[in-house]
Amino acid sequence: MRLGAAGTLPLIVLWALPLLAAVLTALALAGSGAAWSGFLHHPQAAGGMFLAVWTGTAATVMALGLAVVMAMALHGTALWHRMPLLSGAALAIPHLAFAIGFGFLIMPSGVLARLIAGGDAPPNWVTTQDPLGFSLTAVLVLKETPFLLLMLWGVMAQGDAARAFDGQIKAARSLGHAMGSVWLRVLLPRVLRRMLWPIIVVWVYGVTVVDLALVIGPTQPPTVAAVIWADLNDVEAAVNRRGVAGAVALIVALAGIAALAWGFAKLVTPALRRCLARGPSALVSLVKPGRVVSVLVVAIYAAVLLILILLSVTPRWPYPALLGQGVGISSWRQLAAAPVLLSIGIAAGTAITALTLIVLWFESVAQRRDRLLLALAIMALALPAVTIAAGQYHLLLRLGLTGTVPGLFLVHLTPVLAYGFTVLSGPYRSFDARFVAAGRALGASRWRVWREVKAPLLRAPMLTALAVGFSVSLVQYAPAQLAAAGRYSTLPMEAVTLASGGNRSLTAAYALALALPALLAFALSAAFGRPRWR
Amino acid sequence: MALELQSVSIALPGQMLLKPFALTVAPGEIVTVMGPSGCGKSSLLASIAGDLQPPLSGSGRILLDGEDVTALAPERRRIGRLFQDDLLFPHMTVAENLLFGMPRGSRQTRDAMLRAALQRIEMEGLGSRPPHTLSGGQRARVSLMRTLLAKPGAVLLDEPFNKFDAELRGEMRAYVFAHLAERRVPGLLVTHDRADAPPGGRVLAIRNGEVRDA
Repeated sequence: MRLGAAGTLPLIVLWALPLLAAVLTALALAGSGAAWSGFLHHPQAAGGMFLAVWTGTAATVMALGLAVVMAMALHGTALWHRMPLLSGAALAIPHLAFAIGFGFLIMPSGVLARLIAGGDAPPNWVTTQDPLGFSLTAVLVLKETPFLLLMLWGVMAQGDAARAFDGQIKAARSLGHAMGSVWLRVLLPRVLRRMLWPIIVVWVYGVTVVDLALVIGPTQPPTVAAVIWADLNDVEAAVNRRGVAGAVALIVALAGIAALAWGFAKLVTPALRRCLARGPSALVSLVKPGRVVSVLVVAIYAAVLLILILLSVTPRWPYPALLGQGVGISSWRQLAAAPVLLSIGIAAGTAITALTLIVLWFESVAQRRDRLLLALAIMALALPAVTIAAGQYHLLLRLGLTGTVPGLFLVHLTPVLAYGFTVLSGPYRSFDARFVAAGRALGASRWRVWREVKAPLLRAPMLTALAVGFSVSLVQYAPAQLAAAGRYSTLPMEAVTLASGGNRSLTAAYALALALPALLAFALSAAFGRPRWR
Repeated sequence: MALELQSVSIALPGQMLLKPFALTVAPGEIVTVMGPSGCGKSSLLASIAGDLQPPLSGSGRILLDGEDVTALAPERRRIGRLFQDDLLFPHMTVAENLLFGMPRGSRQTRDAMLRAALQRIEMEGLGSRPPHTLSGGQRARVSLMRTLLAKPGAVLLDEPFNKFDAELRGEMRAYVFAHLAERRVPGLLVTHDRADAPPGGRVLAIRNGEVRDA
């Protein structure tokens, strides 16, 4: 179904141009020397930058390590083949909802303290909003590990790649290498190379995240993204521009660190390559530690969900009681007044729109032109959300779209389409074109072949793209907050505000209101997307 | 009904893959085209079917029963295709696959045609089965019958016997040729293996971009 340029136009107008314009606007606004000077002399800028880089980098390294260890333990088991479902369930729980639940688990008056410390008053622990950002790092590690594990699985477990890796494992073992050595010398060098972009996306997200930093991150100073965020929300134009300069400075810092990391990698590569050729080794695979880590991660996710559910129906839960007093649904009732419908409406609308635009693109242009879209998708995902949000806000101001539903819709569409494209491009572009040729040779029109053959066969990845898009849209905080301009409120905005207050039951209900629709979307996608054929 | 190619050629940017040539395939005749990998055999079939993908481009005229179909969309050319794989739609049953290309008509007529088709391929009672539950030979028979039920004016065979073992290969070859001859449908077969060609049939070879008698 080739539609020509007409098929690409909606995507270019609704997504590509606004994204490019937002980035250029941010760069242009940051051009003032006063703004840069203001940011560089900001008392919290240096400390915040250190914290952001430390927490984001440490979280990425640890999440990658845990994902590798878990992959070692699960590879070849029945669970390995169910990885999309397992990781999908973990990914469906939004970062913000998880951070709120995890906070309730580890805070001084939280469940862990009640179990371990006891006493009449909460212990003097600094377990959330700690000055070095350990709690923020922990949340990032726990949330990014399933994502990186799924990416590892995606590289290793599908189609020809799976057969190739299995063959290489057999070959290496027949040459005397134990499984640990096979992973270290044969599998990981190939796998990690192909995981470069997911790792970069995780790292950039970790360094620049705003909502998690506000909920569970350090406060004196906060991470640099939170510093910038405060400036961007300031009513004073000069402070606002300082925030934009900070957002651009964040890109410069990230690029600098990435360049350093690249240089370091070049430096150590010869030594690492020598390690590849050291010959057979009895290094064993980390199966047992990997299993322990897997069980721990699953247990923490279960505990977080359980705490959120219990808190949401418990009006009073004084310290040190292990169970709350009474059961009530008053928090859930208050949710009725919350912007649930707006959030779900925007999430569903942007997910469906993004899928439509992506499919129109695929059906309109040759695969080689996807590079353009891929570059923009990487830009949308690998640039700090706060930088894009700053540019989008000023762009919407000029267009008179701040505080409007179309404005909100556009800023949500940016990440949704980028994620949708990355999810769908592989399966869609690798679809066997001979099915289309066979259908048309049987007399069916392009539209009929798409409707009756291609779409049903691509139902699973298209539903996954919808579910991913829906959940990504549902949790947009920074761009939505700026674009809404106080006229609209979405679930994440309310949840972040509530998280700094004292109503734990209502906060838990909001966190679940964020998590449940996303979980439902993934469950529906898994149920209806499962192929009934081989 | 004959398939006629007039000055048909295929080119890549800056390179002629297949030089202009002419060919007429008579009703019921099967012409075999042979050649090494990458010589343009499959591209020739894609060009005739109207499915040539960039950067390849084709020129010349394709006539079916005297009618110029060159400018028509693939689905309007009435040219059927059989591939190396059966390409049965996996989400459809055998019956749904067979009905997919069958011309529109009353339900009774289509049901009767479906029953007759299943009987013809010795698969009565298997219409509700999904393709993955069939043997390779059964799938190939369904694929052929699906193509024939669309009432094509010509059939293009793109190495359709390659994946079969020797015994099934001979059986399927005879089966396909018999069905095409019975319906007097012209066929163009591309293959690596001369043994795939119908006995006594014309065999052409592609060498250095030229199509010649082998």
